[in-house]
Amino acid sequence: MVAAPAEALALGFSSGLVCMVSCGTLLLPWLGARGQDFKGTARLMGQFLSGRLAGYLAFAVLAWALGWLLARSPSREHLALGLAQVGLSIVLALDGFSLLRRPSCPVGKKPLWSRLGSWAPLGLGLLTGLNLCPPFLMALLQASKGHHLGHALLFFLCFFLGTAPWLAPFLLVGTFRRSQALVKVARLTTLIMAAYYLFTGTLLLLGSFLHG
Amino acid sequence: MANSASILLPRTSLRASLMTLPMALWSLVIFSPGLRAGSNAQKLATLLVLAFTTSLFFLMLRSGKTYHYRRIFFVSLGFLFPVGFITELVMLRGSMSLPMESVLGGNAPFCAMAIPMTLVPAALKRILVFPGAILPTASNPNAFAPMVAVWFLAMLIMGRGWCSMGCFFGGIEEGFASILKKPKVKRFPGILKLLPWAVLLFIVLLSALSLSSTYCAWLCPFKAVTEFAKIRNVVTALQFIIPCLLFATLVVILPLLSRKRTQCALFCPFGAFQSLIDKVHPVQIRVDREKCKDCMLCEKACTNLALDSDCLKSGKPGSGCVKCGACVDACKSGAVRYHVRGTSLSARAETARLFFLYSGWCFATMFGGSILVSSLATVFHLI
Repeated sequence: MVAAPAEALALGFSSGLVCMVSCGTLLLPWLGARGQDFKGTARLMGQFLSGRLAGYLAFAVLAWALGWLLARSPSREHLALGLAQVGLSIVLALDGFSLLRRPSCPVGKKPLWSRLGSWAPLGLGLLTGLNLCPPFLMALLQASKGHHLGHALLFFLCFFLGTAPWLAPFLLVGTFRRSQALVKVARLTTLIMAAYYLFTGTLLLLGSFLHG
Repeated sequence: MANSASILLPRTSLRASLMTLPMALWSLVIFSPGLRAGSNAQKLATLLVLAFTTSLFFLMLRSGKTYHYRRIFFVSLGFLFPVGFITELVMLRGSMSLPMESVLGGNAPFCAMAIPMTLVPAALKRILVFPGAILPTASNPNAFAPMVAVWFLAMLIMGRGWCSMGCFFGGIEEGFASILKKPKVKRFPGILKLLPWAVLLFIVLLSALSLSSTYCAWLCPFKAVTEFAKIRNVVTALQFIIPCLLFATLVVILPLLSRKRTQCALFCPFGAFQSLIDKVHPVQIRVDREKCKDCMLCEKACTNLALDSDCLKSGKPGSGCVKCGACVDACKSGAVRYHVRGTSLSARAETARLFFLYSGWCFATMFGGSILVSSLATVFHLI
């Protein structure tokens, strides 16, 4: 009973550096673009991690229900990853655009892109949670073996807890907010990231479509 | 009336010749192997480049102007380098494309522009994310270690002046930027000046994530005039098309229309990386606020979009400054000048300029001059 959660925790912690680099590629410019202080950055990280946990738990349900169906088929894996990356690019672009073009008048209804941008932390967390790297696939396999849904959920929760501490250093990004130039650079990088994820996501979707 | 300490009057030919002698001797030392042991084509190329670089230096000293003569050298380097390089590639392997065997075998020649991407993976994983050798071999003399050594030497000597005297790509866009008399595109959004930094952050992060040389594989515009991975599938085709589009836009069309070095000012992540290191270089461009008349001639002259009214108020150009001398030459009141860190702004401007010119031109002769000799010799062999 204890072995599976401990295994998940160990798996998450051992692959944390991959998560740190993988999420960091997105988190560093995106948190920098927000220009928040330490508290603000911590709040954003909390929202991001909540979205990530929600993504992990959703996958736990999928793993239990579909028996690791996704990971058995490379084209379905590409389809899932491609959709996630395209979704990520849309969220990043909306958020980046909303930061660069803040409404000049604070009174009245905010434009759509600004309202959508406020959901960005959760959305980004959810979509970055879907990263079908080997540790994640292993977690998926382990979770799918269990007969109970609770087993799968517990496994992924422990996997999440194992990876989460590796993201703690990004709380320090808020210290750079005093430099307006750095904040603008981070915003531009966020938009470049959006273009990158759109490009790679489109390639994955095309590959999934062409190779069945 | 401006005093002669702030605006340099032309020197006499005799004085300029005497001051050029050390540079001529240096050039002779650098090029003497080519004069002694090379083929006739090599000897002729060496003589021509020796005369060329020495003459330009003489003219810079005699006229008191930097930009125009430096540009002649720089544009020549920019256009002759690909000519020689492409010719050698075609002679060696029949095409510009790099076979996969060379990439997998670590035989791709290393380019200094890849340096920023290699740092994080090297620190985290102790690997070189570039398909090249660390030490030179017979089949690949342009390895990581010697290229980093050359670049480091350039940084010590010139700082970001590399971008105006050493970079064998920058001369191409400076050449196109010099064609039209008046710009058709007069303004760029201010935020775009920060784009090189954003591209730098992007490629550093992505190279750490993917453990590959992202910029070289996907974004380097100069693959259009050097070498690229052999096109085998959709991915390698895109890896050729995207850089070519970037080359056409940033190196040819926009510089032609705007008379600005748009690739350097608005995209090049290596330039942004060099700006970081340039912060500690002793020679900088400075604006003496007491002499400045806010005529903005320096802003119009600057090809790298490094000067604007905010920069003039702060007394120094932005991070895009490549120390090309355009602003110094354009300033009629002597307010914009070369300056050695730690000295007073009222100190003689020409001393700082000479310090920069002698050191920078020594490197330019050694590095760029050698490339010019090699490229010219290749052209002569073909004739």
